Amino acid sequence: MLVQAVQALATGLLTGTVYALLGAGFSLIWGVAHVINIAHPALAVGAAYAAYALAMRGVDPLVSLAVVVPLFFVLGVVLYEGVVRPAARRSGDLVLVSMVLTFGLAAALENALAAVWGPGPRVINVAYTGQAVRLGLLALPVPHLAGAGLAAVTIAALYLFLHETLPGKAVRAVWQNREGAALCGVNLRQVTGLTYGLAVASAGVAGVALALIYSFSPASHLTWLVFVFLVVIVGGVGSLVGAMVAGVLVGALTHLTTLVLPFAWTPFLLFASLGLLLLWRPTGLLRR
Amino acid sequence: MSRAAAAGVAVVLLLLPWAGTGEYPLALLSSVFMYSTLAVAWNVIGGFAGYLSFGHAAFFGLGGYTTGFLLVRGGLSPFLTAPLGGVVAAVFAALAGYPCLRLRGPYFAVVTMILGLAVRAVILNLPWTGAAEGLWMTLPPWEPLSARRAFYYAMLVVALCTVLAVRAVRLGKSGVGLEALREDEDAAQSIGVPAVRLKLGALILSAGLTGLAGGVYAYDRSYIHPDFMFDLHLSVLAVLMALLGGRQSWAGPILGAVVVRLVDEVLTVRVGTEAARIIFGLGLALVIVLLPEGLLPHLLRLRRGAPRPPAAVPAAVVRS
Repeated sequence: MLVQAVQALATGLLTGTVYALLGAGFSLIWGVAHVINIAHPALAVGAAYAAYALAMRGVDPLVSLAVVVPLFFVLGVVLYEGVVRPAARRSGDLVLVSMVLTFGLAAALENALAAVWGPGPRVINVAYTGQAVRLGLLALPVPHLAGAGLAAVTIAALYLFLHETLPGKAVRAVWQNREGAALCGVNLRQVTGLTYGLAVASAGVAGVALALIYSFSPASHLTWLVFVFLVVIVGGVGSLVGAMVAGVLVGALTHLTTLVLPFAWTPFLLFASLGLLLLWRPTGLLRR
Repeated sequence: MSRAAAAGVAVVLLLLPWAGTGEYPLALLSSVFMYSTLAVAWNVIGGFAGYLSFGHAAFFGLGGYTTGFLLVRGGLSPFLTAPLGGVVAAVFAALAGYPCLRLRGPYFAVVTMILGLAVRAVILNLPWTGAAEGLWMTLPPWEPLSARRAFYYAMLVVALCTVLAVRAVRLGKSGVGLEALREDEDAAQSIGVPAVRLKLGALILSAGLTGLAGGVYAYDRSYIHPDFMFDLHLSVLAVLMALLGGRQSWAGPILGAVVVRLVDEVLTVRVGTEAARIIFGLGLALVIVLLPEGLLPHLLRLRRGAPRPPAAVPAAVVRS
């Protein structure tokens, strides 16, 4: 039982890291641009399919990132400049507009993926699929380790960027106080565009990482959306460290509950705990 | 629409099933009535009060499942089960809404969306709801056309009741109160608008009407499954329809529902489901960018701009 618990915890921590990355980008857009990007997990699923298409041609998913990351960065900037910004300028109700708008994009993307690859689930097979690293009685699957490692490195890079570079500090300034940042000469439009680029690129990385761990289908983005919401609400909007802690927590909880309850009950437990958490602390566990 | 025109439309809709109309047009119209109900009901909390719910599928599905469960296990008459479905949805809204309505803005939107997904997860895992296999109901041995007519009238009655109830709310005192909450909740509360009572009342009414529609729909379909009774698309369609028609009035969502449902039908028939959903998703994005206020205000402005006496705009529409 103890071994099983530790095994579940370890798996949970690995998958949780990937949820953290997916949540971090979503959280960044919400915090900086006040936009709820429902299409965020759908973009990640898009990246998973991109990695899948390349893997079919023998390209390792980790190598495919060289294509996915720049592509998704540009996609993020285009999403902001081409879609969200014009919409936001015409309406005062940014929350409603952004949610409906990005839901529309997510639905379009989901069905486009289904039109190309069909609605069924896909799996990426790489050279190290099925292999595991043994630590005593524990077995850590190599794809899990690769996915989690990828996510951890990306989160660390994001953290360093936000805390150590000038553009990164500008992003954090806008998150903390939009007007104040603008008064200090921060170009809001550039910073918001940069945030979108980074966030969507990180969604691309998270999608590739998740594809290493789980099977995925065009409709997977709804399941991933739930985890994204959980990570952001538990960790607090806009907080990278919060997202990291929350992601790991959610991952660990999900896998630990499977020890005591049938797997089917996990989503319900997560929702229930989220509901209680919101009643207790509506702004998240780690308050700024 | 003037009173005479509204009465004319009502008479036409009432007589339509006896004018040699086939099953397909009647089914399509029933579905238009259903979506009108969902959009108009959503608008009470989402439009009037400004609390954006993305979880109305939960109320719809609960209404449907109450009906299905009572029919299959209790053998109750559908005349009883559909209203009971509305009651169950309303009670659930009261229980879940009380904590949720403490949240504002994006938090409320996100939590209601999670609520919708959570209820679906629960129903999928309860064995006595049929879980992932769904629930079959047996219809009385009607001819297809008379069954169609019966459900046409049932949905028409639900839609009419919904529109009348919501119109009464909008034009009444609580409509003013809800509008005040939407504009500035703190200021409204400080001058004595009973915020909690109004918000909760709006959510309960909205959920109850949605559950009622779900109950009738479940019986019409005679097979229910969490995948379509709690579909996130339902929640979003209700939002979209209200938004497209215009959220400030009671009539806007009807216009939105009619337009969206008919466009959706044409697209699905012409280009197939997947392509239709791609076009639909992009169209949704486009509508939000181009028409954030909705269609109805634009139409009214066109009418006002035309060289007609001001009396041509009836008082009810202006006030709404």
